[in-house]
Amino acid sequence: MNVLEMFRMAFSSLLTNKLRSFLTMLGILIGVASIIAIVAIGNGGKAAVLGAIANQNLQDTIEIIPSELVAPGLPQPGQVLSIDDEDFSIAQSFQGVSQVNYTIYGTSTVSTSSRTANVSIEAGPSDLDDLARFTVIEGHMFQTPDVIAHRKVAVLSTSLAAKLFGNGNPIGATVMVQGTPLQVIGVAQSQEANLFSLFLGSDYLYMPATTCRDLYPNWGISEMDVQIEPGANRDQLAKRIVTALNIHAGNAGAFEDSSGFLAGIAGTVQKVTTILTIVIGAIAGIALLVGGVGVMNIMLVSVTERTQEIGIRMSLGATRGAILLQFLIESMTITTIGGLAGILLGSGVGVAVSVVTGVPTYVSWPISVLSFLFSAVIGVICGLYPANKAARLDPIDALRYE
Amino acid sequence: MIELRQVVKRYANGADTLTVLKGIDLRIEDGEFVSIMGPSGSGKSTLMHIMGLLDAPSSGTYVFDGQDTSALSKPQLARMRNQSIGFVFQNFHLLPRMNAVRNVELPMLYGGIGRGERRSRALELLGQVGLHERAFHWPSALSGGQKQRVAIARALANNPRLILADEPTGALDQKTGREIMELLQRLNAAGTTIAIITHDPNVAAVANRTIHIVDGVIVDEVHAP
Repeated sequence: MNVLEMFRMAFSSLLTNKLRSFLTMLGILIGVASIIAIVAIGNGGKAAVLGAIANQNLQDTIEIIPSELVAPGLPQPGQVLSIDDEDFSIAQSFQGVSQVNYTIYGTSTVSTSSRTANVSIEAGPSDLDDLARFTVIEGHMFQTPDVIAHRKVAVLSTSLAAKLFGNGNPIGATVMVQGTPLQVIGVAQSQEANLFSLFLGSDYLYMPATTCRDLYPNWGISEMDVQIEPGANRDQLAKRIVTALNIHAGNAGAFEDSSGFLAGIAGTVQKVTTILTIVIGAIAGIALLVGGVGVMNIMLVSVTERTQEIGIRMSLGATRGAILLQFLIESMTITTIGGLAGILLGSGVGVAVSVVTGVPTYVSWPISVLSFLFSAVIGVICGLYPANKAARLDPIDALRYE
Repeated sequence: MIELRQVVKRYANGADTLTVLKGIDLRIEDGEFVSIMGPSGSGKSTLMHIMGLLDAPSSGTYVFDGQDTSALSKPQLARMRNQSIGFVFQNFHLLPRMNAVRNVELPMLYGGIGRGERRSRALELLGQVGLHERAFHWPSALSGGQKQRVAIARALANNPRLILADEPTGALDQKTGREIMELLQRLNAAGTTIAIITHDPNVAAVANRTIHIVDGVIVDEVHAP
């Protein structure tokens, strides 16, 4: 009697008890589906966070920041509060460095004749990474000549433009910053989907770095953007520049490569999401085991119910092995079909979550294959005891059983 | 065909042992139609279980087709039941969740016969017992006599040498019972050895030879004229 026949027999036997088979399957189905969905959502969330971090980190730019500025609290002795011109020339002197720019960050208020809004000000060269992150949708970004000439121009984020001008056209209008009129030359798309915008807000005003220093002479320069030539070793160069700057500042921890800081965050995010996925996955695994216990329970009931059938089959020449296989295959059929349906349902949940929340989800193929195999193994393990019980029945007792 | 020598069957019953068969000597030759009669509790069912290789004697020898069955492993015994013995039970013992033709196919399934051949032979056998039109009926839709015919067709599936029938007419009315006995007689005439267990003298009278068993011992043996 071949295995195909066995499967056919198992199917028809499961079909005679449709509701019961389905309910038993449900335990496995829910367990597998939750594993698949949790891993998909976990992977998607992780990828979204890491992607956002990678976005901040351009390959041809080294962002150098004074270390302690990232830590809250009062200034400490030896702390660099602002990057100065000597620091710039040190960085510029390295071979492989094409250009050194700086970016200033701050918060202030901006007003028109009728309205006022709080803004995050970001000032720098026109062609740096931060500005490249934002797509100008109206007007244009300020250019290098604007930076050189200390021109009083500004680019607003869409949400800020909407706050200040409503539906009106902001291009060419004037906004007041620090008592000085700036001409609006462009509007850039606010990056709502960017995870950082969740923390930093989306009301931004961009202006040339030189203009910003004129307006806010007290603001420290908090970031040095070192652009490197193609082919230069970014990480090595970053290390050497930071070391040179630290020697100049007389403090071994004065500056740091902020991409290192971001890499640290990325590492932490990765660790946390991995641990979370494992913990929740383990809970889902327990759910799967509970489903397996349900399978075992139903198989035991089935063996008892079908005792006479087993006796008849034995009298017709079924070996103990054939009876054992029959019940094993039945329980495996339940769990593997449950597993397959669970993979489909779990993937569906993942897709639904990504549609609803906008965070992408990734169904993991290795995990899918693994949970399929695992559900088959659960079928064998949980079917073994009942099947063995069936195979060990005494044919005469089984025949007499009513 | 089969030979029992000094077959004893004991069961442990708490601290006591219950001796059901007390030294049975019996030979059944090829082509015979033997009936075994006895009151309930006489041990005739146990005897049939031993003859059908469902149970092993506690002592004594059972030779089936020239082979000492005590030397056979459980899978070998299962194979022998499958290939050489057909059972007919009082309560038919059809599998309720299979239609008639699949019930008849079952021994062939365990015998390793392919699907197509299995189906055509099962239909042919159902035709032989007069149930061709009922082949795809469920057991619950068949009358007692029809169920017993299906069971006989199933017993014949692998062309067994011996058919063992345990009160085959016990659950049937007289007329249907007679029809079943006629069917068994036809099979016997065609060469199948049949042993039938009954307490009904009319049924036993159909056999060539009737063995009376009382309290685990053969007390009488009557050859038909």
